[in-house]
Amino acid sequence: MDVRLKNIGKKYEGREEFTIRHINLDIHSQEFCAILGPSGCGKSTLLRMIAGLNSITEGELVFGDKLMNKVAAKDRDIAMVFQSYALYPHMTVYDNMAFSLKMRKESKEVIHQRVLEAAKLLQIEEYLYSRPSDISGGQRQRVALGRAMVRKPSVFLMDEPLSNLDAKLREHMRVELVRLHKRLGTTTIYVTHDQTEAMTMADQIVLLNKGIIQQAGAPSELYHRPANVFVAGFIGTPAMNLIPGKIVQGQYISDNQLIKLHPSPDDAQKLKAHEGEEVLLGVRGERLSQGLAEANNFQLTVDVVEMLGKEQILYCELADHTELVVSAPGHLEFKSGQNYDFHIQSDALHFFNKASGERIN
Amino acid sequence: MSIIKHKKSSDLYLSDKPPLTSLGKVFLALSYVILIAWAFAIIWPLAQMVLSSFNGNQGKAISMAGTYVFSLDNFRYLFEETYFFSWVKNTIIIALASALVTLLIVSFTGYAYSRYRFSGRKASLMTIMLIQSIPTFAGITAYYTMHNIFSSVLPFFSREALLVLIYAGGGIASNTLILKNYIDSVSTELDDAARIDGCSNMQVYRLIIMPIARPMLAIIGLWSFIGPFMDYMLPKILLTNPQSYTLATGLFTLINDVRTMNQPAFAAGGLLTAIPIIILFISLQGQLVSGLAQGSVKG
Repeated sequence: MDVRLKNIGKKYEGREEFTIRHINLDIHSQEFCAILGPSGCGKSTLLRMIAGLNSITEGELVFGDKLMNKVAAKDRDIAMVFQSYALYPHMTVYDNMAFSLKMRKESKEVIHQRVLEAAKLLQIEEYLYSRPSDISGGQRQRVALGRAMVRKPSVFLMDEPLSNLDAKLREHMRVELVRLHKRLGTTTIYVTHDQTEAMTMADQIVLLNKGIIQQAGAPSELYHRPANVFVAGFIGTPAMNLIPGKIVQGQYISDNQLIKLHPSPDDAQKLKAHEGEEVLLGVRGERLSQGLAEANNFQLTVDVVEMLGKEQILYCELADHTELVVSAPGHLEFKSGQNYDFHIQSDALHFFNKASGERIN
Repeated sequence: MSIIKHKKSSDLYLSDKPPLTSLGKVFLALSYVILIAWAFAIIWPLAQMVLSSFNGNQGKAISMAGTYVFSLDNFRYLFEETYFFSWVKNTIIIALASALVTLLIVSFTGYAYSRYRFSGRKASLMTIMLIQSIPTFAGITAYYTMHNIFSSVLPFFSREALLVLIYAGGGIASNTLILKNYIDSVSTELDDAARIDGCSNMQVYRLIIMPIARPMLAIIGLWSFIGPFMDYMLPKILLTNPQSYTLATGLFTLINDVRTMNQPAFAAGGLLTAIPIIILFISLQGQLVSGLAQGSVKG
């Protein structure tokens, strides 16, 4: 089912300001949409409004073609997976999964069949009759998913469902969630603060900050064409290097005069209007390559080397101690304290307006 | 080598802590003395009571002089010469009613105070707490007046019913606070999940919160049940007819009135009084232990 948010805003009672406002969003049927943002950005509030757990102060929430603003949570045909799993501790796994169907007065046969079906898919058949307190975190996570699945809802809502798992299990469940989503084809809205989760799982990422959508789009779009400085800094590890500078005669010159770059013809075209203005140059660590090229060269002193195996993160400094982070292939050798030549490919440059933070090219 | 070994064996270890110093040993001995004396002070009268309740060789007063003759005469006296059974019946009815009324009201108020935000939430709770600090007994004239008013409108509103209301009402504020704190420790995500699963507010209360809060409810219920067994003063004042007395008040007539004096029978009655409470304790044991443990560990 399509989920559409039209100019949605939320102001909690007793607060002066809106927590989030002017949220316009189209989530298409069968899409996996991740709402990403730092803590306190309003992403959980947004999800709870979609779920019907919090009221909507202004704007319209539309499921398919039905207005949902005033519809009770239980009638929205949704299911939600919570961060703490929120399994009912006094019920067995089976009863936990059957609960919503029981509340809907489904027949016993239907309930039994649906629960077994979900249990089989999630491989939790063995402990259907255990209590939540007797099973491990990963298993509880599956039960929580199963409880959401048996309803066959038209929208899945997930509120940081993987954040209580350890790293290894989280990676595993990430893949399983994607598989599950492919199989069920249910529209899924997934809230997370972990960009890796959002990047790897989502069809569409909505990046929120301070209650405003910074950018919405495919993961690659957010990575390769960040709409503003916040997106550029938030998406990607290590974070994008941002270097203040100026456009002088179609050329980028950093404030410390140490980096001079010739933008690509396309970029140059767009930068023309910003001649003489202060800009921020954004460049990702992996687009800084060792060695000299025809142009766009500069020298860096390697300060700290973080070896990750397939790649290494180099914390480098320019001559005036401006820090730059470089991500280099793991097989190259770098020594701390030594100088190396680097160059930037001209198609890897992001330019942002320094005052507004908006993207220029 | 042997010296070290010798030293080790003379050291005194408490659980997993470093060995006790000599001062520590003195304190340890002292605490044992205090605890044993304390236990003796509690157990001695109880033992006296149990012994004398089965001793047939006594007069009107409890005495350990003379030879011990095992007999059930005291119990026989209690059953045949006094209103013991109606006292038991009265007490159990009043105790059960107080426990039920308390549980019903407290479960609602505890849930509401924990889960809902309304104006005057804190103020009202504080007010009830403050009013509660006035002893129940200070309101005795008010109780009389209330009873007169109520019973003139509702003829079935007896003195016993008033007693139930006083017992139940007296425990509401503190029990509400206890239950509220317990429910506060239950994640509100459970409520959210239940609501999405199709529960109304009332169903969240009944199907989710109450089963989870059961250990705490068991404790509150038990406390309210025990209350009437322990209280002598209020029934003595409010109930006029010896036949309608509760156990504590009824048994008291066996030791304070010369005409009806029979202390060994009082001892026998005291022993029997413990039985319903012990039965309740044992049957609720599982709940109580898990409740106490959870309450202490979980914030």
